[in-house]
Amino acid sequence: MDPKAIAYFAAGIGAGLTMIGAAAGIGRLAAAAMEGIARQPNAAGDIRGSMIVAAGLIEGATFFALIVTIVLAFK
Amino acid sequence: MRGLYLLLQTAMAATEPALEHAPPHGEGARDVAAILMHHVLDQPFLGFRSKHLVFFVFAGVLVIMISRLAIRSYKKGRVPSGIGAFVESLVLLIRDEMAEKNIGHGDGAKWTPLLCSFFFFILVAALLGLMPLSATPTSNLAVTMALATVSFLAQQWAGISKYGAVHHFRSIVPPGLPWPLLPIMIPVEIISMFTKPFALMIRLFANMLAGHMVITTLLLLIPLGAAVTTALGVSMIPVALGISLFIMMLEVLVAFIQAYIFTLLTSIFIGMYAHPAH
Repeated sequence: MDPKAIAYFAAGIGAGLTMIGAAAGIGRLAAAAMEGIARQPNAAGDIRGSMIVAAGLIEGATFFALIVTIVLAFK
Repeated sequence: MRGLYLLLQTAMAATEPALEHAPPHGEGARDVAAILMHHVLDQPFLGFRSKHLVFFVFAGVLVIMISRLAIRSYKKGRVPSGIGAFVESLVLLIRDEMAEKNIGHGDGAKWTPLLCSFFFFILVAALLGLMPLSATPTSNLAVTMALATVSFLAQQWAGISKYGAVHHFRSIVPPGLPWPLLPIMIPVEIISMFTKPFALMIRLFANMLAGHMVITTLLLLIPLGAAVTTALGVSMIPVALGISLFIMMLEVLVAFIQAYIFTLLTSIFIGMYAHPAH
């Protein structure tokens, strides 16, 4: 097979896997945050701040993988 | 001032190799990849070699201007108004929530100006990229590398200025560690000292780049649709514009969040080196 074809194929699979990982992680994070806010509504501000920070960190890790995928797709 | 000049030189030197790879303006809807890369990568602009560099300097100038305006609104009384109030609320957020909490009560105020510089620069740079005919300077790896390098130097300086160079590097490993663990801990800690700014760099770069790539790709649906039939292209216009508008609003939010995260993580790392808990 043409190496470029394999690269595109791998980029597609990589993008999908990246999305699964990011969505699963951030989904769990959001669920835990919602539960925390439901239990104690006056901690909503703190929980919201921590949630955004954690989401940013998870997204950071996701973007590492995304950069690799993009480099593959544009080879 | 000299630091700013060195920063500019580094950014200029690093953007040079990228410019040779920027493809010429691609024609035809089949050349989607080339058009996409042409719009998100660096290009010459108005006679300068690098559009990202022009907007890098412009963002810096804007930050200085906003700060001057904010200071001027204090002249009338102790309570600022207008842009001064906005800037003051953000500076207080940085000082109270990030600097004082993470670095400690005395040192926090000392490091606040640097953290404010990071925050406002990243915010203004990101918002600037949403205007038409402009580019986001922080979507360039060289610019984020410069920011991460300054952050790294700030972390090292925080430790060295308080404890001296030797003690700073010796405090990387926790004291009271059983000696067989040292050959593992020392490389791990040294590597983590470098990975932290590296992660900061990649996170900011990728967030800014991904946003612009999504917007450009969505807007490219229009010529792609027009390549099939003109009617399809015309019908794509409201769809693509609508989604692009939504994504741009998301980009504004992402700009704030990324500026906040960069500053927060820098303050945490500075706190780690200024007060080694272990």
